[in-house]
Amino acid sequence: MKFLDHLEEWLIAILMGAATLLIFVAVLHRYAAGMPIPVLQDALLAIDMSWAQELCIYMFVWMAKFGAAYGVRTGIHVGVDVMINQLPPATRKVYVLFGLLAGATFTAIVGTLGATFTWEIAQTSSTSPDLEIPKWIVYLCIPLGSYLMCFRFLQVAWHFARTGELPKHDVGHVEGIEEADSDAYVMAPGLHPADLTAGGRK
Amino acid sequence: MSTLAAVPENAPRWPGLIPPVLIAIPFVLKLAGVPVANAWIIFALLFGLMLTGMPISISLGLTVLTYLFTMTTVPIESVALKLFTGIEKFEIMAIPFFILAGNFLTHGGVARRMINFASSMVGHWHGGLGLAGVMACALFAAVSGSSPATVVAIGSIILPAMLKQGFPARFGAGVVTTSGALGILIPPSIVMVMYAVATNTSVGALFIAGIVPGLVLAILLGLTTWWRARKNNYPRQKRASWLERWRAFRQSVWGLLLVIVVIGGIYTGMFTPTEAAAVSAVYAFLIAVFVYKDMTLAKVPKVLLDSASMSAMLLYIITNAVMFSYLMTSEQIPQELAAWMLGKGLGVIAFLLFVNIILLLAGNVMEPSSIVLIMAPILFPVAMKLGIDPVHFGIMMVVNMEVGMCHPPVGLNLYVASGITKMGITELTIAVWPWLLTMLGFLIVVTYWPGLSLWLPRVLGMIT
Repeated sequence: MKFLDHLEEWLIAILMGAATLLIFVAVLHRYAAGMPIPVLQDALLAIDMSWAQELCIYMFVWMAKFGAAYGVRTGIHVGVDVMINQLPPATRKVYVLFGLLAGATFTAIVGTLGATFTWEIAQTSSTSPDLEIPKWIVYLCIPLGSYLMCFRFLQVAWHFARTGELPKHDVGHVEGIEEADSDAYVMAPGLHPADLTAGGRK
Repeated sequence: MSTLAAVPENAPRWPGLIPPVLIAIPFVLKLAGVPVANAWIIFALLFGLMLTGMPISISLGLTVLTYLFTMTTVPIESVALKLFTGIEKFEIMAIPFFILAGNFLTHGGVARRMINFASSMVGHWHGGLGLAGVMACALFAAVSGSSPATVVAIGSIILPAMLKQGFPARFGAGVVTTSGALGILIPPSIVMVMYAVATNTSVGALFIAGIVPGLVLAILLGLTTWWRARKNNYPRQKRASWLERWRAFRQSVWGLLLVIVVIGGIYTGMFTPTEAAAVSAVYAFLIAVFVYKDMTLAKVPKVLLDSASMSAMLLYIITNAVMFSYLMTSEQIPQELAAWMLGKGLGVIAFLLFVNIILLLAGNVMEPSSIVLIMAPILFPVAMKLGIDPVHFGIMMVVNMEVGMCHPPVGLNLYVASGITKMGITELTIAVWPWLLTMLGFLIVVTYWPGLSLWLPRVLGMIT
């Protein structure tokens, strides 16, 4: 389980960094190739970077699918909880569980649709326009990411059913504040259901 | 931190019945043979699911699946295809890049130097550091595309300094919470990219159109600060000499250059907005780690992971919102709404008022990206029918979102500010009022004076 957690974290962080570098290099290449420097220009013109945009999109689509699963585990997905946070804990528990299981159901359906779709594509010889890699490899992120997300929803639901805790960064502590910026969404209690510890909302 | 009182065991249970009843009504009516417009079924489903507190992305997706499964014979596969192709657009990829750039800038000491520069320029007027806070927020907004990030970057440094100088906590929190909202109006802006994606408007034109309203709002917030500070005689700074100002400028110039890279690059056509975002992310990384040396290389993976996780959350909402807007279009709901409004004889003025009220209400329960992604595809076609300029409509929505970020219950800026100041949300809500009123006044101006937003992009020839 720890291994899966780390794999998920490393995958999305590396995709983020690599995609940024990729587009940066592609832009540099475009301008450097336009400069009339004798040997360098010929060398640069010989390199074809037209596939960069497409690869960047695929990298981010993969990052989005696996990052969404990671987000379930860290509680970053925002919702509307104005009503349910006014409910007594027992009723709220039903709703939170319903929400989590609905998430699991949705991702399971999408994962299955995605698996079917990817399987059908794999029977054809369809490839992506610039990179010319088989399309089914690109789309593989949908069943993989969605099933992983489904698993994460079930994991969180199970944990919540037993302990009443939801994954959530502590709202009160803005530790060193440096950590806070990227957690801006997580910090907003108005966008996340309150869990059942300490009488609900802190 | 107490945001709401803990809910007692014996709180009323009946509100728990709202979602299932809301979802059930149109279905029951339909089964009973009463004609119900499809739009009501879709919206009842969506609101019912949202009220249960599940993630917005999931409620959007489930609405589409449930509707298609129960009400139509459309094969689900055809819509599921949208799930795969929904975010395969290069413009959307500007969002993760801008988030990454923003995170590097926040951690990298850029904000501190901008504050020093701002306070050397305006610190000697009434309002002192508070005024410097407004200016620093405007400067930081020009390199960052997110409001909460601006509040954190500037607020976490300037609020403690203001308290030390003897400003009341309320005043400081009010200034930073509202000025931080400039983050999404002054380009670059993540919310504008969302709007552009949802309506096929040019990101570049929106960015340029945000400049003038952004500066005007910054000046208005500054004036409010100045007026409040003068009335209460808050501390001022010693006037800085021109040499000191030049030094502060030199220190902050690396951050300020980024403004030129992004806006200049997009305007001259050197980069697309997405490329500009990627370049600014690399640039921000370089100045944070190698020029200012305020961030160590060891912290980079954490920044990457946080940015990736937040981007993924937003991209996941986009994916599902694209599917939802496909459903809207295929059921012709925007067209019906447009026909209904025109049939009632509602003109531009009434429509814009209606849009503002709807958006302000939505701002009470949702965060800006979701609102724009859900509402823009519905309202945009109506606005086009009424001859409203797409760029003007976008700027109006963005200003509206700014207001929503500064008031409870879900104002993101408010929660970030409350995390920094350790003030309760109720107290903060009172603290932001003077500035919030200014913003509401400004919203009316932006809504009914298209020229304010459209003048600059027109002069630059970006729109006709």
